[in-house]
Amino acid sequence: MSRVLGIFRFRRKSTPLHALDPRAKFALLVALSAASLALSDAVSLSALLIVEAALLAVARSLREWARSLTGLSSLLILIFVLNFLTLPADRLFVAAAMALRFLCLTTAFSIFFLTTTADELAAALEASGVPREYSMMFTMSLRFVPSLARDLQTVADALKSRGLELEKGGLRERLRNYTYLLVPLIVYELRRSIMVAEALEARGFGAVGKVEPYVALSLRARDLAVIIVSALAACAVIWVVASGAYGTFLDQVRACFPRL
Amino acid sequence: MGDAILVENVYFSYEDLPVLKGVTLTVRTGETLAIMGENGAGKTTLIKHFIGLLKPERGRVLVFGVDTREASVAQLARRVGIVFQNPDHQLFAESVEGEVLFTLKNMGYPPDEARAICERVLKLFELDRYRNRSPYSLSVGERKRLAIAAVMSYDPDVLVLDEPTAGQDFFNKSKISKLIFRLKRQGKGVVVVTHDVEFAAQVADRVALMVDGRIIREGPARDVLTDAETLKRARLMMPQIPTAVALLEAEGLKLPRKPLLPGAFYLEILDLLNHRWVGP
Amino acid sequence: MALAELKRVRFRYAGSDHYALDEVTLSAERGEFVLLVGPSGCGKSTLLRVLNGLVPHFYEGDFEGEARVAGLDVRSTPTHILAKHVGMVFQDPENQLFLSSVEREIAFGLENMGLPRAEVKRRVREVLKEFNLESVKDRAPYELSGGQQQKVAIASVMALEPEILALDEPTANLDPLSALEILSLVTRLVNEKGVLALVVEHRLELALRFATRMIVMVDGRIAADGAPRDVLLKSGSIVGYPPVVLTHLLLKRKGLVSDGVPLTSEELARVVIGKWATRYS
Repeated sequence: MSRVLGIFRFRRKSTPLHALDPRAKFALLVALSAASLALSDAVSLSALLIVEAALLAVARSLREWARSLTGLSSLLILIFVLNFLTLPADRLFVAAAMALRFLCLTTAFSIFFLTTTADELAAALEASGVPREYSMMFTMSLRFVPSLARDLQTVADALKSRGLELEKGGLRERLRNYTYLLVPLIVYELRRSIMVAEALEARGFGAVGKVEPYVALSLRARDLAVIIVSALAACAVIWVVASGAYGTFLDQVRACFPRL
Repeated sequence: MGDAILVENVYFSYEDLPVLKGVTLTVRTGETLAIMGENGAGKTTLIKHFIGLLKPERGRVLVFGVDTREASVAQLARRVGIVFQNPDHQLFAESVEGEVLFTLKNMGYPPDEARAICERVLKLFELDRYRNRSPYSLSVGERKRLAIAAVMSYDPDVLVLDEPTAGQDFFNKSKISKLIFRLKRQGKGVVVVTHDVEFAAQVADRVALMVDGRIIREGPARDVLTDAETLKRARLMMPQIPTAVALLEAEGLKLPRKPLLPGAFYLEILDLLNHRWVGP
Repeated sequence: MALAELKRVRFRYAGSDHYALDEVTLSAERGEFVLLVGPSGCGKSTLLRVLNGLVPHFYEGDFEGEARVAGLDVRSTPTHILAKHVGMVFQDPENQLFLSSVEREIAFGLENMGLPRAEVKRRVREVLKEFNLESVKDRAPYELSGGQQQKVAIASVMALEPEILALDEPTANLDPLSALEILSLVTRLVNEKGVLALVVEHRLELALRFATRMIVMVDGRIAADGAPRDVLLKSGSIVGYPPVVLTHLLLKRKGLVSDGVPLTSEELARVVIGKWATRYS
């Protein structure tokens, strides 16, 4: 579990991508996601993945991404197999495309979260007009995701050490045993949220309506460039897909795949 | 007294960060061992190896002769009970007695026997008047006692307590020390992970100091808790009594024995004042 | 009028029929280091929360009596105003440090107050220097050790320049050396800035030497309030005697030492050395 969550955890590094304004990185995320959803063949999606890998390389975060692939692999295989089994025709072609699409989407999000801190994100949200309470709520959730993962592990450890069998046994039995984790986890997180709320109150959160944020976000030339390029690229992809040209391309690719 | 848990040159990493770097340790029944050191030294990671919650990358851990890699946690837990620091991580039943019965059921006790044991255990831990209340309605000290009671109910041979005195008041700390003494008299093994040097001075027979994933010193409590230099490396201090003894020694007043506790120190001071021990 | 003043305060959490605070009267001034002790459930945490209004604003319930902090009436003043006068530090660093760098964390409270950015930056620079945190200002709080995290928590609330510092078991999760560092830091703030510090602590053997005053609470009431040595003698059976005090009591029973309560190993050693010297020099 922590392996998978690892791709969404910020790592402090000094790279051009980390240094971009969060809004620029967000534009990049939107463009990459739009492309992932618009494209539907394994060849274009592989090309997209290569572009994303290049971005990860710029962010010097390839290793974190690669490490989490092992955790994601089970999901990827699941998607591939489900598609393969349930489609009437072109199974291999579509299944491969779906699995790749999933990978492209998660990688796009991973690029964003690996290079953006929770409060950069909050600053971006606030600069875009989101009220402080909501942006705080968002960043708090992100900030506590690793804590939640750790608490889940601790609760599982505590119950296992009281004899609860979570490692062996039939699927149904194990699922039922896992439900025992819910109550202590929920109670613990509720308690934690009260403590966090107390601390926020104690530091005057909500004292005034409009707050002048400590971090002043300003879009520099390179941020604007990234935003414009992302927007243009996304539009280009969507335009190509919507046009007839993509249809013919799809047929050609499909023909290359064994008829399954 | 025999060997209960053997940790043999264990290495363990978490997300590529080495946490345990070659730890060797023996836990014996009839003895109380305190594992001490600053947070992040690897103490909790180490005790998780005792029941196989974590398996070593290199080296091995034997629990009553069984390699932890070859048994499930539930099986190992039958002989080694662990109570983690925060009782709220494991309390979930609708009632206090439900908590205890849950553990007993998992350990395979038939319902009648389980009820009888539950009653006995709740009385022992002075929790019987709360038996039908929700665990979350108890105070923090009572919840801690309940967590210990639930684990002790099935009578494991070794009890491991992770920071049992952190945030506990005097009353609860005494209860916990008394429990540990009773367990020792019964021939059980007890492991206490703590950075409370006064508590260790009271209950520990042996102390192991951990720094940065390694055990830098292990030995009788009397020797380790009076080793100011090594304690400092582990971000610890000598307990109050040995500190006072060291100050006396600095003035030339050497005591023949190294007391850790007030009672023993008091007797030494009586001797000192009556017989004018003076060292070189 | 005292800096913090409670008169016959009674408080019962909503839905409970037991009074967490039962006729509590106390007043405290600048420059005091007050140690607040008592068995768990005695009301000490509730008492702290009255100071910054978490009780009764965040924790609703029946509140009787008068409570004034820096001249403000707690019942009618919202917490975010009281937060300018009372800085509260909690036990668990993880739940009170939210942001991705120490610098941002310290700025957070100032930001919340609506201060202009230039002013916030200036104060943050001062605080970083004063608390010796300049070298870690870009690190995330969760990367720091427990002791450093608590230091950041204290610095973050001190940035608002409160007259009162309320700490709820700040050293519970810390090793003894870090605990001493934090308690020394609080003492420095008390002595240099005249802050009124109220510290809830269980580890008397560490905290007693710093306190100028000790309050023992039992069952929602104040059982003892005064100089640490006197209060300890009176209430030791409730809160526990530190080892050096126990030793001294044993010696006193034998008639070997006179009155006085050593709070540290140094004090006990001095008494013993003194006694030995009078006999044998």
